[in-house]
Amino acid sequence: MDQNSAEPSAMGQVPYDLSGIALLYVEDEADARSMVSRMLAMNYPKLTLYDAEHGAAGIEMYREHEPEIVVTDINMPVMDGIRMSREIKALNPEARIIAVTAHSDTSYLLSAIEIGIHHYVLKPINYEELFSVIDKILEQIVLKRLVGEQNRRIIESERQLSRAQAIAHLGSWQLDLTDGSMNWSDELYRILGVEPGSVPAYYLTFLDRFTPQDREVIRKAIREALENRQPVTAQFCRIARPDGSQRILRVEAEVILDGAGVPALMIGTSHDVTELKQAEEQVRTLTDELERRVIQRTSLLQASVRELESFSYFVSHDLRAPVARLEGFCRALAEDCTNCSSSNCSVYAERAERVVRQIKQIIDAFNNLTHYARCKMVIEAIDLSAAVRRIAEGFLQSEPERRVSFSIADGLSVRGDPGLLQTALEHLIGNAWKFTSKREQALIEFGFSDEDSVRIYFLRDNGAGFNMKYLDKLFKPFQTIHTPGEYTWNGIAIGLATVHSIILRHGGRIWAEGEVDKGATFYFTLEPNPEPGSFL
Amino acid sequence: MAQSCIFLVEDNPDDAFLVSRIIGKVCSEEIVLARDGEEAIQLLLQMAEDGSYRRIRLVLLDLKLPKINGIEVLQSIRSSGPLRDLPVAVLTSSDNETDQERCRALGVLEYIFKPLGVEALRRLLPLDKDA
Repeated sequence: MDQNSAEPSAMGQVPYDLSGIALLYVEDEADARSMVSRMLAMNYPKLTLYDAEHGAAGIEMYREHEPEIVVTDINMPVMDGIRMSREIKALNPEARIIAVTAHSDTSYLLSAIEIGIHHYVLKPINYEELFSVIDKILEQIVLKRLVGEQNRRIIESERQLSRAQAIAHLGSWQLDLTDGSMNWSDELYRILGVEPGSVPAYYLTFLDRFTPQDREVIRKAIREALENRQPVTAQFCRIARPDGSQRILRVEAEVILDGAGVPALMIGTSHDVTELKQAEEQVRTLTDELERRVIQRTSLLQASVRELESFSYFVSHDLRAPVARLEGFCRALAEDCTNCSSSNCSVYAERAERVVRQIKQIIDAFNNLTHYARCKMVIEAIDLSAAVRRIAEGFLQSEPERRVSFSIADGLSVRGDPGLLQTALEHLIGNAWKFTSKREQALIEFGFSDEDSVRIYFLRDNGAGFNMKYLDKLFKPFQTIHTPGEYTWNGIAIGLATVHSIILRHGGRIWAEGEVDKGATFYFTLEPNPEPGSFL
Repeated sequence: MAQSCIFLVEDNPDDAFLVSRIIGKVCSEEIVLARDGEEAIQLLLQMAEDGSYRRIRLVLLDLKLPKINGIEVLQSIRSSGPLRDLPVAVLTSSDNETDQERCRALGVLEYIFKPLGVEALRRLLPLDKDA
């Protein structure tokens, strides 16, 4: 914008915002009244103008509109200008009155001054003179308004600051380095546990509020800040209140230098962070406690895994030796008794040998089971649908004469150990395959449902099903709920226990529903991001 | 030359009995028994010294032994000049894979799971030697 483009002000025009300011002109001569009124309106278009024909009408007008400026003739019928001015001044001592007076009226001037009429303009009116007087008054009014506005803002902002300090428990202070006197905010007094203004604010009385140990800390921090002309960075210090309670303050301050670069003032804040510190302490305690518990649980877990390890070592090594020995003796017996007179001898020997083979199978199964529970897991993305499809095809090819239709939901991707999940699915599908063997048309379905943002996978068949009262035996190793001979039995019954173990390793759950002769459904969930590695 | 023998390292008397019984079915070799790793090494070193180690047709070695285990016995056999090339078969009831690998690395004829059977021993003792 062009700075020179500002219009030169009209005669007597003040460069302030005059809106909202009113002027009352009182004159008994109609011609003069209308003439002066016109001139005023022309020169002060922003002013609100009123006029009245004598003092009484002027007072009425004043009561109604309370104009800031009154321009009045002195000599008027009904009520003269002096009396009217006196009454107006009584109504509002701030009212600004300009007397327009003839030379002959000068005798009134003394009483005019007494009343508080500060300005007068002689008749006949010299407009330049009148406007100059009005301008001066307007300037005063506007300046007074500005000051009032500033004051209001300062009071408002002080009130706000004080409330904000109270809300935040943030006290502020100023230290005069020449004499050690201080200025404390009301909130600082309250934080120190005393009524605002009730104790003298000095550096020494300030220091006295701190506990003996922390007093030295804060004294040192302030001394160093002054020496280095650096701010006092957050110091957490305790103060003792008169009632004996302790609070924790976060003290910060800045050094203010005078014109010569010498520290003159220090301005600081003292934030009552007691609750914050307590909460912090609580969080720390809780975290420590939690960590302690995690360590404790982990070591318990490790201990039980180690126990399992040594137990399975016992089974796989120490138990195998006597079983192998037993097998040797059974074989020796069977071989040496072929020619024995009692035919039962060799039969018993052979049966005993079969029993030994079963024991060995159980040992192997047990070792497999513990292997699934503790082996290292490698987590990858797996297409579960594709895995199920492959396993299904394998079964279909193994017994092409069977009529089994598979329904497999597409695109089910998960994260897990591919080998372990493959094993689990093989067992589940193998079960479904086995227990639908007596169905004319077997159905095996693999699908999912999403419940409460948890994906539940299921494998359903229309096979033999099971009685729900045996549910708790279902996932336990070496337990079977079908009568021997009903279905081909591999002799060990650890399939579902294995599945259970693998699903647990994947942070999931497994459960089942069934009804005799109606089929069974196995449900399982998987943790979206299972932990890799092993327990040990 | 004196009669050839089978050197059996086995701490368990039942196992020793069962192995001896199978040996008796397959051949007429004498059985030299050591009942722990230390005894085995002492006996073998002595036989190496007096030359009688040449009588040994086969060493049947159990792995889990008192004092010194079977693998250490195998190591001393393989590191001792005259004994180095002795044919050794391991007899065990454990399926520890590390043990199997270490034994194979040290050179064994076979790694046999107990109980030892007639067929396995026949494989280990070629007929020509017996004939």
